[in-house]
Parts: sequence; C-alpha cells; structure tokens
Amino acid sequence: MSKSRNTVAKDNATQAIVIADTFEDEFVPISNDVPLCLFRVVNRPLIDYTLEFLSLGGIEETFLFCCNHVAAVKAHIKKSIDEAVGWTLTMKVHIIVSESCWSFGDCLRDLDAKGLLRGDFVLLEPGVISNIQLLPLLKKHSEVFQLDKGAAMTLIYQESSIGHMALCPQDETIIAYNSKNRVLFHKKTQKTKEKRVTFPLEIFIENSSVSVRHNLKDTHIAICSPAVLPLFSDNFDFQTKDDFVKGLLINEDILGSTIYCQILKGSNYGSAISNWRMYQAVSLELNNKWVYPIVPTVKRNRTLPENSALMLQLEKIVIGPNCIIKKGAKVTAGSILGKGVVINEDILITNVLIQSTKSDDILAQPIDKIGEFAYRLRACEDEEDLDLDKLLANKLSRLHIGDDLYEYDGDSDDEFSDSSEELSHTYSPPPDDTKLFFTEVVDSLTRGYEDKLLCDNLILEVNSSRYAYNITLKEVNYNVIKAILTLSQNLPNGTQYFPQLSQLLSYFSPILKNYIKNEAAMADCLQAIEDIAISNTELKDKWVIFLLKYLYEKDFLSEEAILKWFSNVKQDSKLYNQVEPFANWLQEAEEEDSSDDESE
Amino acid sequence: MTVQCEFQAVVLAAGKGSRMLEFTAGKPKCLLPVGSKPLIWYILNSLQKSGFTEAIMIVLEDQKTEIQSAIENEIGNNTLNIKIEYVSFDDKEDLGTADSLRLKEVQEKIKSDVLVVSCDLITDVNFVDVLNTFRKHNASMTSLLFPSSNIEPVVVPGPRSKHKPEKDLIGIDERTSRLVFSASASDFEEEVSLPMSLLKKHQHIKLYSTLCDSHVYVLKNWVMQYLKSEDNFMSLKGELIPYIVKKQLSKPIKPADTNVSTVNDKDVCDIFSFAKEDQLSLDIREASAYNDHKGDLKPTYNEDPIRCYAYLAPKGCIGIRINTLPAYWSTNGKIQDIWDKVSGDQKLIKHSVNADIKSNQVDDKCVIWDGAKLSEKTSFKNTLIGMNASVNSFSRVFNSIIMNNVVIKEKVAIENSIISDNAVIESGSKIKNCIIGNHYLISQDSEHANEILTKALMHF
Repeated sequence: MSKSRNTVAKDNATQAIVIADTFEDEFVPISNDVPLCLFRVVNRPLIDYTLEFLSLGGIEETFLFCCNHVAAVKAHIKKSIDEAVGWTLTMKVHIIVSESCWSFGDCLRDLDAKGLLRGDFVLLEPGVISNIQLLPLLKKHSEVFQLDKGAAMTLIYQESSIGHMALCPQDETIIAYNSKNRVLFHKKTQKTKEKRVTFPLEIFIENSSVSVRHNLKDTHIAICSPAVLPLFSDNFDFQTKDDFVKGLLINEDILGSTIYCQILKGSNYGSAISNWRMYQAVSLELNNKWVYPIVPTVKRNRTLPENSALMLQLEKIVIGPNCIIKKGAKVTAGSILGKGVVINEDILITNVLIQSTKSDDILAQPIDKIGEFAYRLRACEDEEDLDLDKLLANKLSRLHIGDDLYEYDGDSDDEFSDSSEELSHTYSPPPDDTKLFFTEVVDSLTRGYEDKLLCDNLILEVNSSRYAYNITLKEVNYNVIKAILTLSQNLPNGTQYFPQLSQLLSYFSPILKNYIKNEAAMADCLQAIEDIAISNTELKDKWVIFLLKYLYEKDFLSEEAILKWFSNVKQDSKLYNQVEPFANWLQEAEEEDSSDDESE
Repeated sequence: MTVQCEFQAVVLAAGKGSRMLEFTAGKPKCLLPVGSKPLIWYILNSLQKSGFTEAIMIVLEDQKTEIQSAIENEIGNNTLNIKIEYVSFDDKEDLGTADSLRLKEVQEKIKSDVLVVSCDLITDVNFVDVLNTFRKHNASMTSLLFPSSNIEPVVVPGPRSKHKPEKDLIGIDERTSRLVFSASASDFEEEVSLPMSLLKKHQHIKLYSTLCDSHVYVLKNWVMQYLKSEDNFMSLKGELIPYIVKKQLSKPIKPADTNVSTVNDKDVCDIFSFAKEDQLSLDIREASAYNDHKGDLKPTYNEDPIRCYAYLAPKGCIGIRINTLPAYWSTNGKIQDIWDKVSGDQKLIKHSVNADIKSNQVDDKCVIWDGAKLSEKTSFKNTLIGMNASVNSFSRVFNSIIMNNVVIKEKVAIENSIISDNAVIESGSKIKNCIIGNHYLISQDSEHANEILTKALMHF
C-alpha cells in the first residue's frame, strides 16, 4: 500500500485550522464524556464530515486543535488513517494539543506561538459541515489582499433567509458591506432584541452603495491572512471570532485591518453544529443530501436478495450493518433493523424495531422471536397504538430546543411612524412586573411610615406605580396588604410588639380603607395574610389572630368574609389551628346575634 | 366619448431656480437656454418621445405668457408636438411642489395615474420603462433614479466656491426593486437607525448615497386624492415621497367595529383609506402563483397596500438636473456631445437661419439663436448667443453664455461668463469669469473678473 499519506506536506500546502472543542456549555452533559468532534451526526463522527469537506475543498494540511478528550480524538484519527478513509489520501492532519486553552481565542494565540502557519489559511469554528470549494475562496482572498494589504479575514456566508430551519437564531446577523465586499458593519441581532438598528452614517457617505443584509447564514468558515493570529495575540480580549470581527471594525484605524465577506449561493452549503438545534437541523439537511457530495454513510454489508421487497421508502427504514433480508421477505416503512439481523423467507416486517439478540428487557415476550437472529423490541407496553414516527418524536422531543418562533410583526413598524399609533399597542406585562410593583410599594410605605407622610400621598404613589407596571386591581389589593404586613415583620420583637403593630396598622388605616372596599378585596387581603403566615415561620403564634381581630374590629373585614376564607384553609395546617379559636368565636357571636334577633 | 388615458403627465415649471438666482432672477428657470433650445423643451420632448400627446404644466402666473409663447414658438417650428394645458398660480402664494399638485385646477384635470416631472431635467431615459415598473407591480409610487452623474470639475463663472452636492440616502430592496428608504443625508448627524422590522421584511437592502433623484415620479391616482385631503405636505421630494415610503412598513389599522360605516368619517384621513386595492386585484393576486420575494412564507408584496418602487436608470444613461450653476454651466458645455441622445431624432440647428451673422470668426461649437445679430469683425468661440442678442464690431466672446436681448457694444472682451437677459455691456469692457444679472448695465471701459454682478441679489 502506498505511503503517500505519510509524506511530509509540501511547503506551499494549503492549510486549515480546525478548532475541535466548543467552549460553550451548549452540549453539557453529553460533551463531558464525548468531545464535540466525535458526536455522531447521522451515524458518523462529526469530525469525519469536517475532514472530508476540507480535503474535498482542496486543503492539504490541517491542524486539529484539541483541548479535551485528546486520547479519544487521537485514536479516532489514527483509526481513520489505518482504514485509509477518503481524506487521508490528500490531506495530512496534525493534532495540536493544549489543555490550557479556555476559548477559541486562546487556541489561536497558542497556534500563533507555535508558528505553524505559513500563508493564508482556512479557519473553522467547532462543528463545521460544508461542501464548499475552498480554493477559489482562498484565491479571491489573496486577490483582495493585493488591493488592500490590511485585509485580514474573509467571512464566508451562505445566502439563507431568516426563519429558515438551518439559520440558528443565535447566529442571526445583520451585516453591511460595500461594493468591494468589505464588511463595514456586523451585528448579531438575537442577543439585543432591539427594535432599531443603528448604523454609523459615515459608512453610507463614504461608499456609493452599501448592501445591508439580514438573510445570511454564518458558515463559521473564514479565510484568514497570516495577520489574524498575531492580531489575536495582540488583543487578549478577543475570545471568539465575533469578538475579533467586532474589535477590528471598531478599531479599524488602530489595528489597520479590514474584513471582507463572500456570499455563497446555490448548492454551496455550510453550517456549524453549535447547539442542539443546529445538530438537528444539520442532521436533517445531511440526510436530505443538501450537503452533497458530503453524505451520510450509505448501506453496507447488507444482503438483499433480488426479489425481497423493501417497500421503497428507504428514508423511513433503518437497516444496520450486516443485515440479511432473505428472499420474499418484506420490510415496510417505519421499521428499524439492528446490527446483524437476519430476516427469514417470506416474513413481513411492518413498523417494528428488530435486533439480532434476545432482549433482556422485562417487556420482552416469547412471541417477539421472529427468527434466530431477529427479535422484536418493544419500546413501551402499548406500542401497538403508537406509530413509529410518533414514538420517535416523543423520544426526540428534547431536541426541540425552544426557539422563539420567528415573528414577522408588521405592527412593530410604528416606531417608524407617528407616536400616536405607538400608544395603541399594549403589551401584557411580564410576570416580573408584579414583583417590581411589590418592591416599590414596600419602599413607598417604609419611607412613608418613617417620614410620617400623608397616607393620601402614599395612595397616589402606589397608584402611579400600579399604572407604571400595569397591575390589575386584584393584584394591587393583594400586594398592598402584603407590603403592610411585610413592614410589620420589621417591628422589634418583645412585649412592645403588638402595641407597635396596632400603631402601624392604625397609621395605615386610610390605605387599608382605600383598598379593602368590597368582598373581593377582603378575599385578597385574607389571601395576603395567609401567604405571609404560611411563608414566615418565625411569626408569633398570636400574630394572625391578633391581625384578624384588629381588622374585624375596625370593620375592614366582615365576619362572612373571614368565615368563608377560613372554610378553605387546610384543616391540618398550623394556620388552621391558629385561627380556629377566633373563627369559633365569630361563629358563636353570629349565632348569638341571630338568636338575639329571634328573641326580639 | 374619449378613452381615458392611462397616465397623465404633469410638468412642474413654477420653480424659481433658487439655487442659481444669480441669473434666473426675473426669468423663468425653464426658459434658460441650453444649447439651441430652452430648458423646458428637453423634458417636453422626452415626454413626447415616450408617447405622451398631452401634458399639464404648472407655471407661475406672471411667467405664463412668456413660457407659453416660447413653447408655441417651438411647436410652430415643428420641433415639438405636444398639447399643453397651463395651470398657473400667483407667485406670492409661495407654493411647494406638493402644494401645486393640490391646486384645484390641477386636481380637476387629473383623472388617472400621474407622471410628475420637473422642468429642469435633461435625460435620455424612456419614461415607458419607468411606467412599466409602475405597471408591473401596480405600485403606489415609482421614482426614477440616476446613478450620480459626477459633474466634472469645471471652471465656473463667478467667485470661487465649493459646491457641496446634497446627498440622499436611498435604500432599494436588491431583489424586488422596492424603494424602502428615502432620506436626506443631512437629516442624520452621526448615526442612521433603521427599524428591525424593515430589515426583517427586506433582507437585502442596498443603500445608496450617490443616487440622484430625478424628480420623476409616477403616482397612483389615490396619492393625488390623498394629497388633496392632507395639506401638511409642502414638497414632493422632501415630505410626501419619504412619508409614503415610510408608510409601506405599516399595516392599515383594522377597524375595531366593521359594522360602522366609515364613509362618514371624513376626519379620518388615514393614508390606508386611500390606498385600498380593489377586491378583484387582491383575488387575482391570491390565486396567482407569482410572488415577488422568496425566503419566507409571506404573501406576495407582504400584503402591503402601499408599494414604492425605484427605477434605476441603466449605466450610461444621461440624467442631469439643471438646478445649480455648475450643472447648468457644464451641461451647456457638453450639450452638443449628448444632443443626439437627449433629443431623439431631432436635428441640432446650431445657427438659426433667422440670425444675422456677419462675423466670419464663429467656431464650430457656437450656438446662435433666432434674431441674433453678430456684426462684422467679431470673434466667437464655444459660445451661446441668445435670441435677439446683438454683438457689435471688434468684440470677442469666448466660452460664454449670452442670453436673450443682450446688447454687447464695441471692443468688448467676454470670457467664461454668463450674461443674463437684457444686460447691456458698454464698449471697451473686459469681463472674465463673471455672472451678469438681468438688465444689468456694465459701464464703459470697466474690467470685471470672478464677480457676480446683479441687481437681484441685493435683496438677499
């Protein structure tokens, strides 16, 4: 066998850097055990796709930068070389190890120190899968470099469309570039959620035409001049490629470097698996051959006799290696055959999972044996009712990472128009507003009590907070009472406690009067008392009863309201025991009243 | 019964030429001589070439007769064949371009969609192309834009000054040619902010800072109706057009109660109540497989009732607006080179047969109008001599524009200057790089260089 793969790369070999590890925690906990580059994507380690892409793209020497799980990666690369897989014929891979790197930028600084790169090179962020021809892009970059010696990097984008499955919302970018493809503005939109995007005026004035685009997908591939690595070394705050782009655009004059971009169209594909969402999207696109000629592994070592009938919906059938399907057997959509399964003659396989050995699962039953090397698997007991797609969907449902659905709000236009229209939009406040409202009320009341402010003014203050946070009346009642009770907990303990509490309550009585106006408000008030009583274990035993008695005597609460509330309190709770005597007393009083009435 | 025409042309000719008052004061801007024709002739000729047989022309009351007679003169000479209806208003009313379209006489005449052109445009673009862009998308507004014609730096008469061209920021959707952003660069200080919704809707916008707005607009009939009801707009380019462009991004506010008839709501002058499309077009659009954009699942045109488009003139097209001194001066210098393009098949008459040319030193680049009188022993190079102007013996005029009825006495030397109507240059004067205003009198044996000599400017 030829030893060509072991020859030292030529001096002018085209080089690429692949950073193998993601430094985000997107894939934790799985990435704790398996490095990202060995993640299986449609049954094949991710790095295989990346390396195949690089070698097809014309790269001759690749530096694979590993920080974690180095042994596993090394073993895998060695195995690939031993098996002489496609890329090993034209490309040499060096594994660079540094366990001290904590970011993308650190890796590049480390590489700069090692001085391995000779000229322009291709830089891949973790998890790239693509089918782009790299040599024309390298050529274009060097042409640009002839005209602009400051050209440091060419970013490769793929034309896409916002809302497209394969465009990761976190990657949504607005870029502006001039007629020479020089990037003038770069901004990731997802993080900010701003309603307007601000561009410096000068970029429009200095260039006769500027393309502002929002339909680009970052392929996470970049063509770099040799200057890129020293730039990373000089700027220790560059942690990611985005930092680099941002830093260069802001400090263009100081760093004297520029960034260009290339927009790919048509069948050129590039994506990076940067999170689970992209994992799913890229898997689907690989499966659907969007990345041709990079395709998932095809069937191998399967014996299909000529007249065995596969109901030809291959994309819905999974057949493992070394399967044998004998003459006359039929396998229909939805079936999954594991490794080494043998399907005997004239057997119909519909929508089942089959493995070659007997399952130890408790669900396994004798009738599941289909052949010597074919056992039916049950995923759950009532499997018959579920079709396979649904089953898989359930299993994979964790993969649907909740994207904010891309909304195309024609309404948000209005900032562009008159303010009067803007007012017509009401947004339901996020739940946090209630909390904010509560803290504001507590602040107002504390200050009011300390400075002895007029309660009327405090009511005004509370009401304005209410409108600021758009709080319903019910919540206002509840929160105001809760706030007053919260204040009461700050009173010094001891014998003076109850006199001080009644002093506090009487001070706030105008406020109580203002907010506890009807039955519903009484219910809110009682709810607040209950919540405070339950959540706070350090309260004095008599606190609740004292409070209820006070409020009852001052006519803030009616006995019906108290009794009605009390009937809903859990009987075995501490609160119930505390309130019971008072409730009994009320009950008796009422009965007395009614008997008095009768006697009269 | 006459068939209603699809488009009506409106020519705005009431401008005063406020950017070049030095020589337009006291004279209609649209009658400035450019080559052998008055400025207005070029646009009327373009309209005629594009198939218009009629045009409505808005002029100032006190200039009406002068303009009318100049145009009738052209029609009489068979160099123009277009029927003009004049609408005039008093100079004192000080109306903007949008105001003048709101005039009752104009509104009464407008029955269909409108092509609005300015009188100061010289172009070889066929307006049919602009109209087709408009037709294709059933647009609300379409404007004609030129890649900025960099006016070559020429030595301009008058004191040396730097001309800062006004820059517009114009955003065009690269895929659909929708005009999505229009503003003057001077509206911004250091930053330009665009709404996110715009960038989401139009994912590839090309923002130009060097385009030249030709002031050619095709307006849907409803825009005229809307203009009638809304009197806040002064000018077309500065106010109405940016407003309509902006409003594309809005959606009509859905009436809360559909049962209430809105017919009586005269107060509600919402632009969307004018911009309604008829149900048939909407149904056809829905049934059609056509979509103007791809990449999302939004309906054609994103269901926008207001749609503005830009027609970008192809490269190499001529489009010059004669609204500044450098533009006027440089255009006059090169008009003979571009004559074939801008005039169609008209023949360039350099020396009018009705001119009395006794001089034998008139070079190839001179243009001499009707009734001009050039005495013996005079010398002319690259010069325009206006109607009924007279130049007496022993005078020479190089690289200059001499307008109508100018009298140049003996032994006068004029170089690189503009001499406005009815000016009188007494004998023995030497004038270089000057602009001489209307009715101005240059006294005997005086010398002037790099000056603006006019009565009109005194008032400013």
